[in-house]
Amino acid sequence: MERSHGFWGEAWRRYRRRPLAMAALAFVAFLVIVATLAPAIAGTKPVLCRYKGRIYAPCLGYFDRRLEPAIFTKDKFRGTYPKNLAEKDPASWAIWPLFFQDPYRSVRGDEWPGRPENPAMDQGRPSWTNPFGTDQAGVDVLAKMVHGTTVALLVGFVSMGIAGTIGIIVGAIGGYFGGWIDMLASRITEIVMCVPTLVLILAILAIIEKPTIWHTMAIIGMTGWTGIARLTRGEFLRLKGSEYVTAARAAGAGPARIILRHILPNSLAPILVPITFGIASAILTESGLSFLGFGPPPPSASWGSILNGARSNLGMWWLVLFPGTAIFLTVLAYNLIGEGLQEATDPRLREARK
Amino acid sequence: MTTYLLRRLLLGCVTLAAITCIVYGLARNMPGNPLTAQMGEDPSRKITAADYERMQRAYGLDKSWPEGYLQWAGNLLQGDLGRSITRKQPVTTLIGERIGPTLLVSGTAFVLIWLAAVPLGLYSSARSGRPDERLTSLLLYALYSFPTFVAALFLQVVFAVWLRGTAWELPLFGMSDLPADAATSSRMLDIARHMILPVTCQTYVSLAYDSRFIRANMEEAIRQDYVRTARAKGAGPWRVLFRHAFRNTLIPLVTLLGLSLPSLIGGSIIIEQIFTWPGMGRLFFESIRERDYPTIMGLTLMFSVLTLLGQLLADVLYCLVDPRVSVA
Repeated sequence: MERSHGFWGEAWRRYRRRPLAMAALAFVAFLVIVATLAPAIAGTKPVLCRYKGRIYAPCLGYFDRRLEPAIFTKDKFRGTYPKNLAEKDPASWAIWPLFFQDPYRSVRGDEWPGRPENPAMDQGRPSWTNPFGTDQAGVDVLAKMVHGTTVALLVGFVSMGIAGTIGIIVGAIGGYFGGWIDMLASRITEIVMCVPTLVLILAILAIIEKPTIWHTMAIIGMTGWTGIARLTRGEFLRLKGSEYVTAARAAGAGPARIILRHILPNSLAPILVPITFGIASAILTESGLSFLGFGPPPPSASWGSILNGARSNLGMWWLVLFPGTAIFLTVLAYNLIGEGLQEATDPRLREARK
Repeated sequence: MTTYLLRRLLLGCVTLAAITCIVYGLARNMPGNPLTAQMGEDPSRKITAADYERMQRAYGLDKSWPEGYLQWAGNLLQGDLGRSITRKQPVTTLIGERIGPTLLVSGTAFVLIWLAAVPLGLYSSARSGRPDERLTSLLLYALYSFPTFVAALFLQVVFAVWLRGTAWELPLFGMSDLPADAATSSRMLDIARHMILPVTCQTYVSLAYDSRFIRANMEEAIRQDYVRTARAKGAGPWRVLFRHAFRNTLIPLVTLLGLSLPSLIGGSIIIEQIFTWPGMGRLFFESIRERDYPTIMGLTLMFSVLTLLGQLLADVLYCLVDPRVSVA
C-alpha cells in the first residue's frame, strides 16, 4: 500500500514535476551559494593566510569591516595583501580567492603578477582580466556583481519577511474578528495602498540621516504588505465559518489558538504565493531605487547601482547587459517559483491537470 | 445603492485625510526646505539671513507641520491647491501642463495593451497546452519579469547609441527637439518619434500581465458547466470561447481596468525619469527633490483620489455587469 503524503509532501511532489519551477529553485540556491562564498570567489584579500606564525581569514572583512584581523591594519597593509604579505613575512602563505578583483576599488597594475591595471572611464570593455568589464572608476563589474548578490537576496527575504508578518497579522485580525476591528484594519490597508510607494520610500529615505541597505529593506517591507493582508483577510473570512473552526471553538480554544493553530496553517499556501511574488517585486523596487541613485551608500554593492553608472554613459553597454540580466533572471526565478507554488497548492488548478 | 455610494465616499474622505496628513508630515520632515534645496544647487541664489526669514514666513515654512497641514487642508476645502514654491506657478496649472504628455504616453500604451492583450489571452487559452502556446506564455512571462528600467536602458543603448546615424535611430530623451513654432505636422511626427521608446517600455510589462490575467480567468470559465453545455449543444470552439466563456470573464477585467486608473494618469516615475518625459511622474520626482511641498501634496492628493475612485469604480461596475453581486 502506498504511504499517503501530507499536504506539503503532496505539494512538493507536484512542484517537482515542473521543470521550470525546479530550475528557478536551483538558480536561487546558486545565488545563495554565490552570496555566502562571495569573498572566496572574487576579492583581493586572502581567504586564509599564515602571517607571523598565526592563521587569519582576512576575506571576512568583506562581510563586515570589523571582522578583518586588526594586525593587518596595524602593519599598514592598506588593503593590498599580495605584496605586503611577501615583504613583511617571507615565510607566509595564503589561499587566494578564485578571481583577483575587488568590488570596491580599482586594482592597480603592480598588485598581482601578470595582471594589468584595470581600465577606467569608458575604456573598460569586457576582457580576459575583467570578463564583465569595469565601470567609470575602474572597479571590476563581475566582482561587484558577485558581492551584490548578498544585497539582492537579503532584500527579498528581509523585506518580505517584514511585509509577510505585518500583512498576516493585519489580515488575520481583521478577517477573524470582523466588525469595527475589520473596518479599522481595512482602512489602514487602504491608506498604505493609496500612498504612492516610491514617494513614500523616497521621503522616508530622505528623513533617515544615514540610510543603509537595511533601512531600504525595512521600508520596502513596511509598504509592501497590503496585498498579503487583503488575501489573508479573505482566507480568514472564508475559513472562520468552517466546521473545524466551530469544533475548535466548541472544544474551548481561544481566538489566539484558533487563529494560529487552526486557520493560519490552512490558509498558509495561498498566502505564500503572493509573498514569493513579493520577493520578486522587492528586488525590482530595490534595484529601481539604486538605479535612480537612492540606493545604499558605496560600501554595499547593489546590482541596480551598477546600472546607474550606465545612465551617464550609454556607450558602456556592459554596465547594462550584465547586471540587467542578473536582475531579470532573479526576478524571473522568484516569479516562476511563485507560479509553481500556486499550481502545486491550489486545489482548483490541481483538478484541471487531471 | 445610494447609501452604499455615500458611505464609500465618506470613508474615502477619511482615508484621504489620513493619507495627505501622513505625506505632509513626511514631506515637511525631510531635511531641508524648498529654499535651501534651491540654494544648494545654485550658489548665485544665496540670500541673506533676513531675506531667508522673510521668505520662510511668506511661504508659511516657519509654522510647525501640523499647523501647515491644517492650513493646506483649509485652502483645499476652498478649492485652492496652493502655489508651487520653486516654480512660482499654481499647482493646478503645473498639473494641467504635465497631464497632457503623461496621457499621451500612458493612453497610447493603454490602447496598445488592450488591443494586444485580449487576442493574446484568448489565443493562449484556445491553444492551451500546445507547444506554440507554451512558448508564447513563457515569453510573456519572461517579459513580465523584465524590469522596465533595464529594458529602457537596453533600448536606449540600441536605438540611440548603436543605431546612431542610421534611419532607425530614435531620440534618447525629451519630448521634442523642434522649436515650439515649427509646423504642426513635423512637430507631431517628432513627438511620435520621441514617444516610441517610452510607450514600448510602458506597454510590454502590462501586456504580459494582462494577457496572463485574461488567460487565467478563461481557464476558470472554460471548466464551468455552461461551457460544457454550450459544447454539448454543438457550438463551435470559437463561439464557445467568445460567446460563452469570454463574456463571463469580463467581470474581473473590469476590476483590472478600474485599478489601472491611477497609473494611467499618474504616469510612471521611473520611465518618465529615464526618458526625461515632461509628465506627472517626473514632476512628482522633481518636487520631492526640490522639497516643493504644495506640488508634492497636490500630486499625492490627485494620485490617492484616483486610486480610491478606481477601486470604487471597479466595485460599482462589478455590480452593474454581474447582477449576482450585491453592493452590501
